[in-house]
Amino acid sequence: MDVQINAALNGIKNLRASVSNIFETAITAEGTFLLEESIACVTQNFKETETCINNLNAPSVPFTLGNTSYLNYETDLEKQNMYNELVNGYKWYEKTHQYSAIASTLLQHNSLKRSYFSSSNKRRRLLTGAHTVPPKHVDHLISTFNVNNMQLKIYRPFATNAFLHINLSRVLKAAIILRGLMIEWVTVKGFNESLDNVDDHWSESRYEVFRRVQKAAHSAMLHFYSPTFAELAIRSFITWFGSYSTLFSEPCKMCGKHLLNALPPTHRDVRSLDPTHEECRK
Amino acid sequence: MGVTILVPYPLDNKKTGPEVVEELSKRLLAMQATQTGHFLVDGDVFESSFNKTKIHVMHNSEYPASVFSILDNGQKQIPLITDLIFDLLMLKVNPIYASRKQLKIESKGPRFELGDFLVKLGSVTMSQSQTFKGLLIEVDYRPCLIPIICWELIREFLQGFLGQYSPTTIPVYFTNSVPNPHHPVPYQKSNDTYQPIDTVQQYLEHFNNYRKQTIALMMGPNK
Ligand SMILES: [Zn+2]
Repeated sequence: MDVQINAALNGIKNLRASVSNIFETAITAEGTFLLEESIACVTQNFKETETCINNLNAPSVPFTLGNTSYLNYETDLEKQNMYNELVNGYKWYEKTHQYSAIASTLLQHNSLKRSYFSSSNKRRRLLTGAHTVPPKHVDHLISTFNVNNMQLKIYRPFATNAFLHINLSRVLKAAIILRGLMIEWVTVKGFNESLDNVDDHWSESRYEVFRRVQKAAHSAMLHFYSPTFAELAIRSFITWFGSYSTLFSEPCKMCGKHLLNALPPTHRDVRSLDPTHEECRK
Repeated sequence: MGVTILVPYPLDNKKTGPEVVEELSKRLLAMQATQTGHFLVDGDVFESSFNKTKIHVMHNSEYPASVFSILDNGQKQIPLITDLIFDLLMLKVNPIYASRKQLKIESKGPRFELGDFLVKLGSVTMSQSQTFKGLLIEVDYRPCLIPIICWELIREFLQGFLGQYSPTTIPVYFTNSVPNPHHPVPYQKSNDTYQPIDTVQQYLEHFNNYRKQTIALMMGPNK
């Protein structure tokens, strides 16, 4: 039914277009040949529209408009527009519903759960979370990290939770804010930008390229996160982040170029660590 | 501020300087760059009346509060960065270090921003008569401070923007070996952290070339 109505509407649209085409040809008046051709076109379109309309059959049951039918009884002129608004509102709602359904399936694929909380009540045992690891343990773990071209330093401006400062091969600076062993925030800055102040951790880099890297780091932090293997998670993240030491020097694996839209490849694959432009991946 | 590469743009006789600047500006705008005002780099020469020691006093509109001066005794160049008051000091030492007004050079023109890149199209003019000498294109990749790391990236940018006139190798300024005061092995600028004085020194090299050309031209007919 929908298909037929659409075909009929398209037919009418084509018919209208060809009719206005006649007038345009008539104005420019370049011989009768062109005019004849357009008239033939109109006749053809008219026939097509006619067949489309003949294919339509009247709905057997009247449409039920539900409560909206009461709007018919509205006498106030100002309120007679309400039906249109209602239809628009309905369409919008329908779209939201559709998008949220898609989003929900996508989210189910990528589980980004940051806690143990589950609705099942079967078995609940107390686990030591990744966020309650003693500072000594954190320090020890970080001291075992050994990534090329990377210097790590730990600060504790807020009592127990560590700020992990990274200097990556004269290319960039970063700060990883930890809660226990859980990565809570990553800030990426240029080699010549300041990270000395606590406030610097919440301001964005002056440069587009480091803002892009920070975005990539945030999605990687969620990708690597695992509530049960906290140590592995942070270790993988640091290794992945180390691949940015070639941010300016290695061209994109996909297009072979250094620059795309005046930016170097700011994306690193989470498995192969291959550099690609954001727009080039997949 | 990041690594800055200065490229002289060769002029054939088909187009004048302003025409090329307009063409390159249009190209930059088509690449989605935005023009952010104008820039100016100037250089004065003061020469000692006793020996041939020169002091180059330079300004760069990118660092409006600084004066860059380079002492040059023919063998060695000693750079110094000071506040603006240095200009007044140079006036005081005028009898000893006299200003060579006819050697004053300026490079000025539009300044563009394209993502993290900064591009300046400089028309070089010399002495009070403002004789046009040529074009100097400055490209600054602000996020990176080590020339050797991002040279390939800047080269690609230059190639996309200047085409056949883009350089294929890093300017000699970066590959000359510089004696290292802390280490027996000399180092290269290309592997060092880039400083604002490096931009000024690149300008000075090109300015001196233009000066040499002009002096050679003036001497030419007398021979
Ligand atoms: Zn690419």
